[in-house]
Amino acid sequence: MLRRALVSLIAAGSLGAAWGWQAAAPVQGQPQSLKGVVLKKKAPVSREMLRVKMPHPVERKLKNGLTLLVLENRRLPVVSIDLVLSATTMSDPPGVAGVAEATAALLKAGAGKRDARQIAERLSELGANLNVVASYGSRATHVYASTLTENLDALLEMFGDVLLRPTFPQDELDKWKKRRIGELQQQRASEFFLGNERLLGVLYEGDARAIAAPAVESVEKITRDHLVEYRKSFYRPGNSLLGITGDVKPAEIAAKMEKLLADWEKGSSAEPDLPLKPPIQTKGVHLVNRPNSVQTFLTLGNRAIHRTHPDYIPCLVLNQVLGDGPASRLFRNIREEKGYTYMIYSSFTALHYRNHFGAVTTVRSEVTKDAVDELLREFKEIRESPVPEEELDNARRAIVASFALELENQNNVLRQILLLREYGLPEDYFDVFPAKVMAVTADQVQQMARKYVPVDNVQLIAVGEAAKIRDVLAKYGPVVEYTTDGKRVTP
Amino acid sequence: MKKTAALQLLPLWCALAAPPAPLPPIKFTESRLENGLRVFIVEDHYAPVFSIAVSYNTGSRDERPGRTGFAHLFEHMMFKGSENVGAGEHFFLIFNNGGNMNGTTNADRTVYYETLPKNQLDLALFLESDRMRSLEITQANLDNQREAVKEERRIGIENRPYGRSYEKLTELAFDNFAYKHTTIGSMEDLNAATVEDVKEFFRIYYAPNNAALALVGDLNTKETLEKVKKYFAGIPRQDPPKSVDLAEPARTEERRATIEDKLARTTQIHIVWKLPPGGHVDIPAVQQLRAILVGGESSRLYQKLVKEKEVATSVFGGAEERAGPSLFHLIINLRPGKEPAEVETLIDQEMARLHGEEPNEAEVNRARSMSRRSEVSSRESSFNIAYRLTDYTVLYNDPNRINTQLAKQLGVSAADMQRVAKQYFRKENRVVVTTLPAAQAAKPKPGGN
Repeated sequence: MLRRALVSLIAAGSLGAAWGWQAAAPVQGQPQSLKGVVLKKKAPVSREMLRVKMPHPVERKLKNGLTLLVLENRRLPVVSIDLVLSATTMSDPPGVAGVAEATAALLKAGAGKRDARQIAERLSELGANLNVVASYGSRATHVYASTLTENLDALLEMFGDVLLRPTFPQDELDKWKKRRIGELQQQRASEFFLGNERLLGVLYEGDARAIAAPAVESVEKITRDHLVEYRKSFYRPGNSLLGITGDVKPAEIAAKMEKLLADWEKGSSAEPDLPLKPPIQTKGVHLVNRPNSVQTFLTLGNRAIHRTHPDYIPCLVLNQVLGDGPASRLFRNIREEKGYTYMIYSSFTALHYRNHFGAVTTVRSEVTKDAVDELLREFKEIRESPVPEEELDNARRAIVASFALELENQNNVLRQILLLREYGLPEDYFDVFPAKVMAVTADQVQQMARKYVPVDNVQLIAVGEAAKIRDVLAKYGPVVEYTTDGKRVTP
Repeated sequence: MKKTAALQLLPLWCALAAPPAPLPPIKFTESRLENGLRVFIVEDHYAPVFSIAVSYNTGSRDERPGRTGFAHLFEHMMFKGSENVGAGEHFFLIFNNGGNMNGTTNADRTVYYETLPKNQLDLALFLESDRMRSLEITQANLDNQREAVKEERRIGIENRPYGRSYEKLTELAFDNFAYKHTTIGSMEDLNAATVEDVKEFFRIYYAPNNAALALVGDLNTKETLEKVKKYFAGIPRQDPPKSVDLAEPARTEERRATIEDKLARTTQIHIVWKLPPGGHVDIPAVQQLRAILVGGESSRLYQKLVKEKEVATSVFGGAEERAGPSLFHLIINLRPGKEPAEVETLIDQEMARLHGEEPNEAEVNRARSMSRRSEVSSRESSFNIAYRLTDYTVLYNDPNRINTQLAKQLGVSAADMQRVAKQYFRKENRVVVTTLPAAQAAKPKPGGN
């Protein structure tokens, strides 16, 4: 059945007179020009703000120490599971990057009495998904599973096998390694991959955060023992979270999980110590030579903040103004007004371990210099001039109002709830989030820009044909050049 | 004791494994305004949001030689202002009010959509109706969007590994100009587009009687329909556009091409088989056959090419359903050092197997489960429902396909699958484009850059 218990529509008067209930009427005014956009202000905009209430999950602690969070939701006959294991790629054994990823990938390659093919066939038969993902840079390995309610118990049986009784067959590991090595070669054709790899290499040089993907030689070194050992050390219930949402009763699913995971030995995994580093102080220019490119992929950034940093919410507002989406300055100026690009945005990667700010775009090679100049000009402007009140208000409202859209998808809601727990954020985080966003001032945004939007110490990463753009980039500083294989060419 | 816990679950499932209950239909109302605009409304009060989709019955099939890429360039112009909305104000208002939006063009239709908090219904209707009524077309806006679209072409084709292969494939797959070119078009033709072209295209195709509108979400049907009338009823209808002949001559032989790609680092094989139009009675059987061939890790081609023979790192594919003759795509990324000829032989063997015997019962059941699951998941988003309703209307004149498609898929038998495999998955009905990394093609040195 359709339920709307999640949501309450609240007059926003308590959060500021400027955006309380008002009749939806066109805001009249003279056409006003902003960069890349003309505002006629004739469209009827409702000034009322939908304030969304995030549901609170039912929480249980299983005997093995695992925290279970259940969000009952009967809208569709579907159940989704997200097991968040505190098992990160950054805990790979030194020199053997790829172990966390291989462990995750191989869980489905044999478990309990089934081999890889039987597991795959059974999942299809159930119309179910079961995916284990250890992405580079994430603090966790996720076991995602979902199915129609009628097949939940059958899926759970597989979930238990995969998590607790993987067999890690040697021949499956050999096959995975060959496949992965092929993929690693294939992805070096992508400018997006190359740009991200170089950015991480620059910002996190010398630690595990720098790894975008393992080297071929590293994958070749992985043995079955690595997987067994990694699983034993890091797949532990004590600091893991089991989120379940959908067509389930909390008490019933808790009892099922208690039984299913009873064999999972108590204990917690060690989490790596990779503290936030301050921004790099001197400018850097890095060029990945990708021959035959007709565009330059650009990232301008530097280290910034993690998710629990007190600057996080002001930085969200800053980014909304600067580069989040088509209403932002970067999109309006560099795409809509200048026509340099199809794609441009900025973002804060504010995770546990990776903590940086970056603006990303792809421009035709000929306008590489114009695009970099324009990006830096925008960076300077937001650092030097306070954001005008109307623009600031638009950004704050955009963040608060867009929250309603999250509620459509129950997996999104579960993800947000798990995120609170993962980062140790307070229970009422989402209840007070709108007020905190609306309280951000132009002065704060400017302070954030000065701290995290880099100009003099910008790290400029470019991927393109070096012969076309090397000289242009040299205007910004000494260029360090790399091949698409990730080898540094500049001595 | 701990073991029995898991075992107890199994019989419980077996008891439940009886034929699954049918899905409840999506209830929609359908109205047609006097100007011909078809309007669909679905109430779903689950979340405080709604989505709107407006689909125009036009796409790159309506382009003429010398103007490829125009329908999509035009789509960009729809964000550059109308009588009461400034250039760029559309997305400025949508995003600043917490919404999401985009537009997308294919060969047959162009659709615009927004998802917004429920209190912004008037905003969405105002924006969509104003541009349907009164698009503002200027040389400056056209020149500006031409640049954005050329960058889009570079990012998707010229600066992307395998980008050119898709163009070649499209060219070989069709004989009729309507479908024989890509929607993104050529640089030369994008450069040639004029303001007059834009005005003419707008007049002919962007008329209410050539569009379908769907609203889905936390809405009241009656009030919503009244608002739709308020905003859209005054927009005049136009003479219906001439329908384009999409017919294709029958194929008598396979077509092939090999492309040396300077950006790719590994070999890719892209095969298409020609299919009947998306509304054809055989399409559900093709969809089920897709699950058997490439639907996940249990599928035949994944098992054969990726797992057993280890010639590929990945394999994927599916039907690209069009209003006219459609295509089934199969894309195989080869492992470095593997020969395309060897891979093709393996594919041929799998196709011969499909021709020679019906898929087994387990495969048929797996395909059905996957279809059912996929249909349930697609109902979670209001956007997806709005999008499907307008797509099915514009492409097939069949909005209720949203409620009938699954039953048709579930009704496909093993014999149906074998029959369509024999009918469409034939060598003379296919195009094969093999893309080789240029560095490797020139001098066989692995990993050359």
